[in-house]
Amino acid sequence: MRAGTEFHRREFLLATAAAATLGFVGRARAAFPEKDIFFIVPYAPGGGFDTHVRAIAPALERMLPRMVNVVPLNVPGGAGSRAANQLARAKPDGTTIGVFNIPGMFDLQQEGKADYDLTRFTWIGSLGRDHYALAVGYDSPVKTVDDLRALSRTRPVKFTSTGPSSTAYAATLIAGEVLGIRTQLITGYKGSNDYVLGAVRGDGDAVITVLPTLRRMEEGKALRIIATFEAHGSLPGVPDAKVLAQPDLALIILERLVAGPPNMPNEIRDTLSSALIKAMADPAVVAWAKQADVELQPETAAQAAQILADQEKFFQKWKRYLTSG
Amino acid sequence: MLDLWLSGIQHLLQVRELLFLMLGMAIGLIFGAIPGLGGSCALALLMPLTYGLEPITALALSGGVMGAVPMGGSITAILLNTPGTAPNAATCLDGYPLAKQGKAGLAIGAAASANSIGGIIGTISVLAVLPIAKDLVLAFGPPEFFVLAVLGLITVATASRGKLMRGLITGALGLMISFVGYNDVVGGERFTLGIGYLWDGVHLVPALIGLFAVAEMINLSVKGGSVSGDARNVEITSMWSGVLETFRHWPTVLRGSLIGTVVGAIPGVGGVVASFLSYSMTVQASKNPESFGKGNIQGVIAPEAAINAKDGSALIPTLAFGIPGGAEMAVFLGILVLHGLQPGPMILTQNQTEIYGLIWALTASCLLASFIGLLVVRPLAMITLVDSEILVPAVICVALVGSYAVDAEIENVVVTAIFGLLGYLMIRFDYPRLTVVIAMVLGGTAERNYYQSMIMGDGHWSIFVSRPIAAVLVAGIVALLVWPALRGLARPLTRRFTLTRRGGG
Repeated sequence: MRAGTEFHRREFLLATAAAATLGFVGRARAAFPEKDIFFIVPYAPGGGFDTHVRAIAPALERMLPRMVNVVPLNVPGGAGSRAANQLARAKPDGTTIGVFNIPGMFDLQQEGKADYDLTRFTWIGSLGRDHYALAVGYDSPVKTVDDLRALSRTRPVKFTSTGPSSTAYAATLIAGEVLGIRTQLITGYKGSNDYVLGAVRGDGDAVITVLPTLRRMEEGKALRIIATFEAHGSLPGVPDAKVLAQPDLALIILERLVAGPPNMPNEIRDTLSSALIKAMADPAVVAWAKQADVELQPETAAQAAQILADQEKFFQKWKRYLTSG
Repeated sequence: MLDLWLSGIQHLLQVRELLFLMLGMAIGLIFGAIPGLGGSCALALLMPLTYGLEPITALALSGGVMGAVPMGGSITAILLNTPGTAPNAATCLDGYPLAKQGKAGLAIGAAASANSIGGIIGTISVLAVLPIAKDLVLAFGPPEFFVLAVLGLITVATASRGKLMRGLITGALGLMISFVGYNDVVGGERFTLGIGYLWDGVHLVPALIGLFAVAEMINLSVKGGSVSGDARNVEITSMWSGVLETFRHWPTVLRGSLIGTVVGAIPGVGGVVASFLSYSMTVQASKNPESFGKGNIQGVIAPEAAINAKDGSALIPTLAFGIPGGAEMAVFLGILVLHGLQPGPMILTQNQTEIYGLIWALTASCLLASFIGLLVVRPLAMITLVDSEILVPAVICVALVGSYAVDAEIENVVVTAIFGLLGYLMIRFDYPRLTVVIAMVLGGTAERNYYQSMIMGDGHWSIFVSRPIAAVLVAGIVALLVWPALRGLARPLTRRFTLTRRGGG
């Protein structure tokens, strides 16, 4: 059965390719994808970004106009900058794409430590986004944001977090500023699970991270969410950005944006973009997302580029608070 | 409780699950034996394959791999002085001297039975502590991790094999290497020489392959001959007596298994500490510590029991909090998430069938792998008789490919080559190499957790003694450091005492 459909598809492709050759589009481009596609994950295997890519890659293979392998490639190190450097140097032929932690990645670029420019990348789409929330230990005497403010009048409030140049780090500092809480970050945890565990353990007073993770921790009676940074809160009884009267909180978002190297031809970008959108609607991927409590929100290439521009603006606005690291 | 254990077994005892378990076991054994490949590599390659499988089948496959890797790793450690996986490094200390004496069979036999018993004890301990697993994981925070890392670092003293000053020098070298790369604590890079690859630090496994496999092969080719050299009569038949050796050293096995279980449950410390700590404690407890490093069978049993006991309990932080104990667990975590098993405090209550199935798969695979290991001891031990002209190119080839395969980066091969030369120079001038590995593994952990502890404790060192577990560990460190000195002092005293008594009587 399967071989049969593939046969038909190949026939169809050959026909398309031939048609394209007759036209004015170069043959190599029309035939994209010809080779395996490497999907760069800027972190080690096992984390959130890695799992997203590994869950979506098989569906992406099926949705491309021609069956090639989509191979997840972990390039950890330097808070994502190694991965960005690698992508910046890759050929813009569609065989190398990557997913990035936005807006945290802007940090290194701001400091002039990067040999890449995120705004020059070819933005293809998104693997989804997450809102942030603020949580404290389940049995903590702190029950509300006001309690945290009161605590911050006596001493800086300790938050567990990863190091500089991650969105979580930026989110914690910006949220502290917006909410009027003096913050001191315990940094160096290896990933989001690690610093969330630190918060459960009581290493610090509170933690700010993506909402799905915190929801799981609250279900397990390990943490208590005392505020969500959504415009319209999804948790009953928990104040959101509107209730807290801080609309800027709702702009603190973790974007998992997908990019190719600078100057990628539009046809290749659009082929990848539409395949990615279709892959995210694939039943297997949707089922995975439901089980894993992940919000998949596909974006077109133009939307992804717009999100990046907005995030850069947002990051610029708050930049001066992020230099404490 | 018992019905849960049984339902776990029941789910595993299906033809399909058993087949995948065996497949995983075979892959684990091979990947464990080839330096550089290891469990994380096997699981990463299998990950897309598990996509279409039922969760319990995928777990049987993963459990099969993880249970068998240590056995495979110990074989190469004993035969070629090259740890197949990092924790097996401790097995080299006495395993390789045994192989050189022609007693490879004895050593592998002992490793196999220590593996099995360690695995079983590990499983029993995990089943016992699973209900309180959450509290166990939460009891260890940055101050405890820091003290544990220091505890691991002082095993450098034992791994130096009597050359303490040289051990400290190479240990310091290892620490320096461990600080290369991006600093997760305050951001920014250190000692990267502008090389992008080094932003992620010097990768441990390629360095390990160079330091051991390549260095050992350079040394062998310079020397000529074969691994077991003059030992013409290789005692392969002594395999079963090797198996029995483990039963003759119960305290060693128990100590190793308990250390493995406890250390395994602590996230981020990992198997290297477990195996070296177990080795170190065994040497300390021994009546003739000077026999270690020269082919004492207890030096094989102690680390091997700890490594397998660790595997079961390492699941606790991985499952309950999504904190992998090492690279292998990190990839396994990815497999869990792919199958919709979201790690978190709830998983221990919501997915009990899968969890117990996984624990049994680990145990079964560990037993099977040990058995298979015993079956292939005879042909494998022949490796020590192979002439260097054949062995050296073959092993170097596998080592370099393995190094590249770790994460498909060509720079790994360069690292392996550099560390190969370094390792050879260290053999040539008689500097211990294992101390480099211990320090490389623990340097980052120690630094990060020290920094975090300092913020937690507002800059006061008192945090290391004001928390009960940290205080106990600090006391342990003091005892470990002071004990040999006290024993040295006590010896002349007791002698004088007996002399006086004799004189008096």
